[in-house]
Amino acid sequence: MFPADFAYARARSLDEALDLLDEAHAAEEEAKLIAGGQSLLPMMKLRLAAPQVLIDIADIADLKGGDWNATAIGALTTYRQLHLNGSLTSGIPALADALAVLADPQVRARGTIGGAVAHGDPAADLPPVLLALNAELAIASSAGKRTASLDDFLQGIYTTDLAEDEIVTHIRIRTPGASGSAYEKFPQPASHLPLAGACAVVRLRDGLIEGAEVAVTGISPRPYRARAAEQVLVGASPAPDVLAAAAEQITRLPDGQELSLLGDQHASAPYRAHLAEVLTRRALAKAISRARFAGMC
Amino acid sequence: MERVQVPALREVCVRVTVNGVPHACTVPARTLLVHLLRDRLRLTGTHVGCDTTQCGACTVDLDGAAVKSCTVLAVQADGHEVTTIEGIANPEEGTLHPVQQAFKDEHALQCGYCTPGMVMAIRQLIADHPDPTQDEVRHALSGNICRCTGYQNIVAATLHAARAATGARGPADKREG
Repeated sequence: MFPADFAYARARSLDEALDLLDEAHAAEEEAKLIAGGQSLLPMMKLRLAAPQVLIDIADIADLKGGDWNATAIGALTTYRQLHLNGSLTSGIPALADALAVLADPQVRARGTIGGAVAHGDPAADLPPVLLALNAELAIASSAGKRTASLDDFLQGIYTTDLAEDEIVTHIRIRTPGASGSAYEKFPQPASHLPLAGACAVVRLRDGLIEGAEVAVTGISPRPYRARAAEQVLVGASPAPDVLAAAAEQITRLPDGQELSLLGDQHASAPYRAHLAEVLTRRALAKAISRARFAGMC
Repeated sequence: MERVQVPALREVCVRVTVNGVPHACTVPARTLLVHLLRDRLRLTGTHVGCDTTQCGACTVDLDGAAVKSCTVLAVQADGHEVTTIEGIANPEEGTLHPVQQAFKDEHALQCGYCTPGMVMAIRQLIADHPDPTQDEVRHALSGNICRCTGYQNIVAATLHAARAATGARGPADKREG
């Protein structure tokens, strides 16, 4: 299978990439950015995407590497680089969990953290972890820079807040202090995409849950924060019945309404929702267990 | 509205080093790396299996990391280094790569279609984890499918190759068995 014909340009710097985006926009040509291409190229081969111009940003050195604490992680950092660099996953076991089960080693060698958020896939592994960690995105255009919370950025199926002339440049998270976190997924066996996945971040204080973030992927048009479930947890005891009561709220919005659910040939919407509830319970139990040991050695 | 010509090309010159040999090929921009290797450079050891990033038969080494060459554009490899299954043995000494030798010793291939991709993926696995457990091997090979379902001997060959490499460096693997 080949992608549909397109014209290719490689950007050597962020400014050059932004210029190319502006020029394509002015020429009324549909342009797409490519970094690892592990989601975009399969879609192009199936003609689900057929950009007229492909702008390769993989060589932009300023968007690679970095550090969660000092600045931020460059959008071009690959899953493999994140996974192999223990300092980037230290204290964030949910991130290490997700990187270990995300696609397969070959895909992880090419796919990037920026692509994971900019692609807007409803069933990606990293967005729920980044949502639970309150991630912020740095976004550049030739008009200037802005930041957006990932929660505001993700909008729907392959739909984000990214404008045609913008590039996600960095991702920032605040490494939580003495907390535990975990990511659990149930993969589709061929694609390894999650039929459902859940991330939990839990902070304990005096034996009670002081704070909790829960995020889910794979079951709705976009990965989302399960705030109704979080409300059940805060201030409660980290007991199995509390975790079960929180997980029961996984498809409920804080106003009591039900979330819009997705199903497809691989799994129906009710089955995905059931998986999300079970996985949330497991992720919470693991996160609490890790929180009890956090900072002990 | 004035139309601006975007400086982008439908035909691209790809300069890539493959198995230590520099090549320059002009190809349509949409050419996939696996087709450059197979159809232009005639390196047909790299196979196309599923063509959807799932089976791993097309696995090659790109700049020191195993990747699926059906999901990399040839032009993305411009200026980079590729190693294929044809480039890992040592013909001067007449020896196979340790993973190839282990596949032979453990009879880790049946029809052979997945074998080049398996060998390239295992080469990466052992570089990353010189002393893997059986469980780690099975997880690390999650991106490679053997349609003959011959995983038992593929895993055995991987552990065999890792032991051979570890034995050459130091004490025997204490985690085996």
